[in-house]
Amino acid sequence: MSIESTIITKSTTPQSRSAQKLETRRRILAAARRVFAREGILATSTAAVAAEAGVSHGSVFAHFGTQEGLIAAVIEDFGEALSLHLHESTERGAGTREVLKSHLDAIRESEGFYARLAVETPLLPSEARLSLVLIQSDIAFHLSPAIEADAKAGSVKAMPLPLLFNTWVGLLHYYLANRELFAPDASLLESRGEELLDHFMSLISTGGKR
Amino acid sequence: MKLCVACGMPMEKPSDYPLGDESKDYCVHCARADGSMQSYEERAAAMANFIVMTQGLDGRAALAAARARMSRLPAWKGRP
Repeated sequence: MSIESTIITKSTTPQSRSAQKLETRRRILAAARRVFAREGILATSTAAVAAEAGVSHGSVFAHFGTQEGLIAAVIEDFGEALSLHLHESTERGAGTREVLKSHLDAIRESEGFYARLAVETPLLPSEARLSLVLIQSDIAFHLSPAIEADAKAGSVKAMPLPLLFNTWVGLLHYYLANRELFAPDASLLESRGEELLDHFMSLISTGGKR
Repeated sequence: MKLCVACGMPMEKPSDYPLGDESKDYCVHCARADGSMQSYEERAAAMANFIVMTQGLDGRAALAAARARMSRLPAWKGRP
């Protein structure tokens, strides 16, 4: 068998086809996240995503079916990465501040995209909006053992998890949605993240330390 | 790392599996006390409850979000 035919045989095995498919999917998701950050989620066409990813327009539809499917998949992909990031902090037995810091760090990696989400969520297709609900619950779930431990230790006020979590998200989303006013030409979370974290911790702290 | 087919949770250690049985494809949260997998309705109600407990959503909105999430998980694909 010639070298050429060996290469052709290898490149068309079911495993390599499957790996190629996964790689294309990954490229489209990463490209979509970048374009969404630049142009906005709803303002972005699937053709723009295909161009950014360097794939054919048809390939986007082959992988995600519809524009709505693509948006939901990008959000879900982002949520999985966020969840894994937080999972690592929780496994280390991190305290409330550390888990929230971890939340900020994970968002900062895709701040432009997340800021678009903060603004556009109510306008997104239902599938995407509902995906976000589960992502937020997952974050709250990862935060919950840290809050319980800190409340038990007396350093954090005992308060209902949904109110505490929604207060944090409300603060974060307000600043992210208006980041051009709070941190023009810079990362909001880099320049103001610590300040937001300090403020939120002062709201929920009893004054004790952990 | 395996992901639970019924809720999507990462399963890394024996305590993530029902009765510690790592051959299962679903996690401890999606299992009944005897280790069998919860039904679609049981899982939807549990997931909706999880959403209410963590974010305080209205119960019907939480159930809609749970069903939407489940429709994309391997265990429940094809369900309405």
